[in-house]
Amino acid sequence: MSLQLLFDALALGGIHAIAALGIALIFGVMRLVNFAHGQFIACAVFALILPSADALAVLGLGRLPAPVLVPVILSVGAGLALAAEALVFRPMRNASPVTLMVGSFALGVALQNLLLVLYGGRPKAISLWAGLGHPVRIGSAEVPLLQLIVIAAIIVILVGLALLLRRSRIGLEMRAAAEDFGMARMLGVPANRVISGAFALSGSLAAVVALVLVAQTGIADVRMGGQIMLVAFIATVVGGMGSLSGAVVAGLGIGAVSALLQAGLPPEARPFRDAFLYAAVILVLLFRPQGLFAPVGTRTRV
Amino acid sequence: MKLAPGILATLALATPLKAEDLTIGFAIAKSGWMEAYDTPAATAAKIRIDEINAAGGLLGRQIKVVEADTRTDRAESAKAGLDVVDQGAEMMVVSCDYDFGAPAALVAEGEGMNSFFLCAEDVKAGIQGVGPNSFSSSVLAPVQGATMAEWSHARREARTAYVLEDTFIEYNKGICKGFDWMFPQLEGASIVGSDTFKNDDASIASQITRIKALPEEPDVIMLCSVMPGAAAAVRQLRAAGINSLILNGSAVDGSYWLDATPDLSGFVVPVQGSIYGDDPRPEVEAFNKAYEAKTGARPASQYAYPGYVLIDLWAKAVEHAGTTEGAAVTAELERMTDEPTAFGPRSFTPELHHQNTALMQIIEITGGKPARVDEWRISQPVPLDVLMGQ
Repeated sequence: MSLQLLFDALALGGIHAIAALGIALIFGVMRLVNFAHGQFIACAVFALILPSADALAVLGLGRLPAPVLVPVILSVGAGLALAAEALVFRPMRNASPVTLMVGSFALGVALQNLLLVLYGGRPKAISLWAGLGHPVRIGSAEVPLLQLIVIAAIIVILVGLALLLRRSRIGLEMRAAAEDFGMARMLGVPANRVISGAFALSGSLAAVVALVLVAQTGIADVRMGGQIMLVAFIATVVGGMGSLSGAVVAGLGIGAVSALLQAGLPPEARPFRDAFLYAAVILVLLFRPQGLFAPVGTRTRV
Repeated sequence: MKLAPGILATLALATPLKAEDLTIGFAIAKSGWMEAYDTPAATAAKIRIDEINAAGGLLGRQIKVVEADTRTDRAESAKAGLDVVDQGAEMMVVSCDYDFGAPAALVAEGEGMNSFFLCAEDVKAGIQGVGPNSFSSSVLAPVQGATMAEWSHARREARTAYVLEDTFIEYNKGICKGFDWMFPQLEGASIVGSDTFKNDDASIASQITRIKALPEEPDVIMLCSVMPGAAAAVRQLRAAGINSLILNGSAVDGSYWLDATPDLSGFVVPVQGSIYGDDPRPEVEAFNKAYEAKTGARPASQYAYPGYVLIDLWAKAVEHAGTTEGAAVTAELERMTDEPTAFGPRSFTPELHHQNTALMQIIEITGGKPARVDEWRISQPVPLDVLMGQ
């Protein structure tokens, strides 16, 4: 039972962690809370099927074999984020964070309505990798293959990202930009390159979430990114705005607490699971208002 | 003779003019996500209107339709209601869902007009939530849950049930309430556990772990959910190797979502009529054909039907009352007991403007193919206190 619980918690937390990472990356380099991230996820899901308002979905890109499909969808996500950066956020680069946030809201609404126009309002079924749902026995636990893949994917993504940030030039520039963007620019860090890089990474992380969600649920829905976006945003706040490792830890934590509450609460209290979850979030923020892992750059120096 | 023009005018008014059109206002979602649910039922309503017009109209008047868009927004819904009233509506058809239809229905109520929800299945979408002139012709959610309970007990020897409730909307709670009321009353039947999830939960792994921890797999799982969460839950339940018969409400009728769980079997829903061409009543298939002729495709789910039924019932009541005035038509509607319609008998009373019992067709999905397998009418109507959730 406890091993089972651990896997359930990791699987849910993992999805939230990847989504939170996507938001934290962009916040780190340009202090933008990208509320359109949820719609990036939805767009990446809908990219799998052909645009049509018919009730029955017809697979488009989703027909491709997995080794081709995964990079294609990741580039769809990255391309969308890059386009959003170039068309919406670059012209607003010098605006206040609040203006940027409102801009991202507007972009999210626009994207959602674009999906509604192209695909209609009815949820669509997508049969993608149905075999991944089959349970595998590990010790006392029965875990769907997909959960194992999700957990493995998170480890790969985190290690890859850590290497990228620590070892590569763009990583160094991103870290410098996250610490103090103005100073980094003066020292010759190319702003456009860093910001575009962060958006591309963030967009492909949204696409990863999209693929996991589709494989898990088999459904595409115009509203599907919203809830994940909300939890991921809370995770970035709890983790400390701008801290990448904080976002990951908090994303995992929120997913884990959610799974624990679902398993542990008495039946009458279970419908209010999220109320307990957010109460825990408030509690954490009371003791650590700056989040669990506030990066050095965001601390106020007197 | 200064008076003459005045007298002539009076005479002109007294002579019967060609009867004016009778106007029905549709304050429904023509954009936003609700559009996908409102349009099929509204189209069905217009099919019945066309039939009535072709047969000479209602009270000798041709029915004209005016429309306003709620944009799937509660505030816009009230505006859309006012808009169709301004356009001369004498009866108002409002959005499928209680939350999105009620603001417009309240406008109609304020004008003393009848309002009909396109397919609401929450008891509030009527006297209890809107007012004395508001109706829905669909079948209440608790009736669907109770139908699943009694049918599975009688025809599939279901004795143990597990209830999995999606807390997203009132409709889901209604399904579960009906099931929870009916199932334990049946001989030898008991609910062995229950759990909740949220429609947009990315994973229901913990809920599945709880079901698998039961000493024996339950005979049936009552899943009270709607799309997209319902399809996601079914996919995860089956993937986890849980083979219980899964029951749900009418809301998941349709084959459009079946790709989410390839080769799904043992999934049952109650519906008002079959969209799959196998309904034993020829009127139902005749309607499906008429719908296809009008839109180019057969109905995607049973939710087109209540639109047809509501115009049918209202028009009958208007014929009897001889007027479209709200209170008079309401009185005629409330006199209807098992009034035959193409999709089964319908009743209204001064206490309830909904169906607390109904003949439902049972649709079962086997090997990814839905088919009508049976029909069922619950042995006793769902009592009002269960409907009200007390």
